[in-house]
Amino acid sequence: MTGETSRGGSVQETAGIQETADELRRSVASQFGRSLHIRTLDTGSCAACEQEIRLLAAPHYDLHRLGFFFTPAPRHADLLMVTGPMIRAFDIAARKTYEAMPGPKLVVATGACALGGVYPSDAFTHGGIGETLPVDVWIPGCPPSPLALLQGLLVAVDRLAGKVRDLSFMRDSLMPDGGHQ
Amino acid sequence: MTAVQQNAGAAGLLSLLGHDAAADDGPVVTVAVAAADIEAAVRRLAAAPGARLADLFASGGNPAIDGDPVVLRMVWGLDSDRRYLITSSVIEGERYPALSDIVPAAFTEECEIYEQFGIRPAGHKPLNRVALPPQAGSDFPRLGRPPAEQPADVHAEHFVGGQAFEFPFGPVRGVGVESLYYGLVTSGEELVDLYLFTWHKHRGVEWRLRGRTPREALFQVERTEGLGAVAVGWAFAAATEAAAGIEPPAQAMRTRAIALELERLYNHAAATAALCQSTGLAVGQAAAEIALERLLRLNAAAVGHRYLFGVVDIGGARCGPDAAALRRELPGAYGELRRAADALLGTNSFVDRLEATGILLPEAARRLGLVGPVARATGLAVDARADHPAVPYAEHPPTVATGQGGDVLARFRVMLAEAADSVRLIGDLVEAGAGPGIADLPEGAIGGTGRPAGDGRSGLGWAESCRGEALAWVALDDSGRITRARLRPASLRNWRGFDDACRSQNVFTDIPIIEASFWLTVAGTSR
Amino acid sequence: MPLWFLRGLRRGVVTTRYPARADGSATALPTPPAFRPDALTRELADRLAAVCPSRALARNASVLIFDVGACTACGRCREQAPGAVTASGEFELAATDRAHLVKRIPLLGDETARRSGPTAGQAPAGSQRGQA
Repeated sequence: MTGETSRGGSVQETAGIQETADELRRSVASQFGRSLHIRTLDTGSCAACEQEIRLLAAPHYDLHRLGFFFTPAPRHADLLMVTGPMIRAFDIAARKTYEAMPGPKLVVATGACALGGVYPSDAFTHGGIGETLPVDVWIPGCPPSPLALLQGLLVAVDRLAGKVRDLSFMRDSLMPDGGHQ
Repeated sequence: MTAVQQNAGAAGLLSLLGHDAAADDGPVVTVAVAAADIEAAVRRLAAAPGARLADLFASGGNPAIDGDPVVLRMVWGLDSDRRYLITSSVIEGERYPALSDIVPAAFTEECEIYEQFGIRPAGHKPLNRVALPPQAGSDFPRLGRPPAEQPADVHAEHFVGGQAFEFPFGPVRGVGVESLYYGLVTSGEELVDLYLFTWHKHRGVEWRLRGRTPREALFQVERTEGLGAVAVGWAFAAATEAAAGIEPPAQAMRTRAIALELERLYNHAAATAALCQSTGLAVGQAAAEIALERLLRLNAAAVGHRYLFGVVDIGGARCGPDAAALRRELPGAYGELRRAADALLGTNSFVDRLEATGILLPEAARRLGLVGPVARATGLAVDARADHPAVPYAEHPPTVATGQGGDVLARFRVMLAEAADSVRLIGDLVEAGAGPGIADLPEGAIGGTGRPAGDGRSGLGWAESCRGEALAWVALDDSGRITRARLRPASLRNWRGFDDACRSQNVFTDIPIIEASFWLTVAGTSR
Repeated sequence: MPLWFLRGLRRGVVTTRYPARADGSATALPTPPAFRPDALTRELADRLAAVCPSRALARNASVLIFDVGACTACGRCREQAPGAVTASGEFELAATDRAHLVKRIPLLGDETARRSGPTAGQAPAGSQRGQA
């Protein structure tokens, strides 16, 4: 959806095509924004992320009020919520789950393991899901709390703007020469 | 058997194994057993009433060192004697006596050892694939040498004769559950057999811990089984502390225990919610989830993390509990769970689904070496807090909850009784004073020399997780780095009881109910 | 069933109003760190990178690279240098581009070098060195 695909390589776009792509994405996102069906995929998590995801349907968070629903059926799913560092032995199962979902579809990488933390890329795991699946939204956390998950889902369907791009994670960030970071 | 007779039995056992039973060894005894004597020793231990095989694992067998032998270790819980016995045997060659023929509780571990170290029990019993995926070649990283033959894709014998057929389910299953592959063998509706493939989630945790300092390793260890972070972290920290001769301060141990009981509480609430979900009782599920959410928020208020990560540290506890938050919030949060549970036990349609479902007999629990509520619900009073009391459980003993019947209802009742007891324990521990604290590490304990090499630099640790006894065994080198870390969460022990509980008289729709009542994790067994 | 219905009514609504209203329950949760660039020397940055168990911190010349995505909010960097590292308090961290999660924190060393001229590389007297 953005210019850089997670399969690597950049995509050369003319301005016109980019505009159409953005418009299409927004219209798709606005459809999803009214009713979104979510499939979950565990590629090797410690099980804490799954517990937080299950709580999205619990009374304190109730994702149904936002028009989001869980579904076990890939054919009904619009969004794939993926946890875990993508154990290599799981690659095929992960790709099959993704491909079983009809387009348009979104992928949300959920939790530090899926984003490249905790596990390095080695013989056991990829160390993140970005090499295996095209990711639309990344949600940090270990595990991300249900509120963080809700924000991530809302960002995925364009109902909330992402905040983190503009956060500097610096305090007292006046530079000695008077400039700002 | 009287306590005296049982103690005499254990002491007799130890002297038969060549150990000086009069020596004051403390709670863990290590005995070297020659490979030729293993079978006789196992037969004696298996026949002893108070002995339970808690773990079987190997170390050594470094392929980079020519002829480095594999050392086979068994951990036996001599529960009535309040001791653990570790036997260590050097295995030359590729075969060792078939232990699982004598003690079925050893089978999964024999399969694991074959994959990781290349040695196998005598005999021709087919071994299951446990951790390594089918595409793992001989160069796939493992703890020792690859086996001479890859395990064929065998699974333990099951019957697909007559009217039964087999179909696979998973590893990608329902919503918000871990990946797990079931092979279901059915004659239609009734479940004839069930076997599991757990290799999809093998992350190689034990392999990755080698060469790390224990403190670095703890981060990975906690995330081995996130829903048991305190228990597995505590077992690992205790193993390291035993190896390095560190004694954590008492207030830090009480902090660990508070965190462990909080972990027990929220897991039992989560299991309650899962039981409701599996029986289709949405209102009960919602009530249990309200309790669960309140307990998780209590965890965050008390120790700074909803899942209690980052509390246990090598040498003590990294942060102290917020006693005021505990006093303020715990009664309300537990009350929520209690009221939901009372209403559930008064809902006949719910109780009917639980009664006589997923029955596990005490003989099966004993034979397979099961632990935790799963074992206690069959009547076996096995609880590491009571059987192997370490600080602070020696001063604050739990009330061990057992049940009768071994069905889902019995397991549910045991969990509820434990939850009530956890609240009491937390209250007592807070009153006794809990806070952060890391022991001063003795000179050369974790970094540097000062202790003799060999078994003197290894240690066993344990903690009673919400699922049962979690064990860890750690061996350190002279610089205090890990040469071998064995992690044995309770899930690793208890999944083998799942097929027994599911078989016969149960139908497909009972499987999620039984799974919820076991409340294990795939992460804890696959590691 | 009437039992459950009445229980539910009595229990009341616990549902969060997020995102329409802010939810205070997130304030008790661990959050990724925020750094004070004027307290971060290269040496401290190296120590922070070494103590991070999740590869979220790395130093590149005079910049501390902080990968919020890899961060587990474990607090080890904050413990290492409480004066230089505090909790950010941010939990709304979802990003549509992985690069949005990688932050560049300038380090003290180079600024000092630029300002001090011939004494480049030495921190001026009185400035914070290492951890508080």
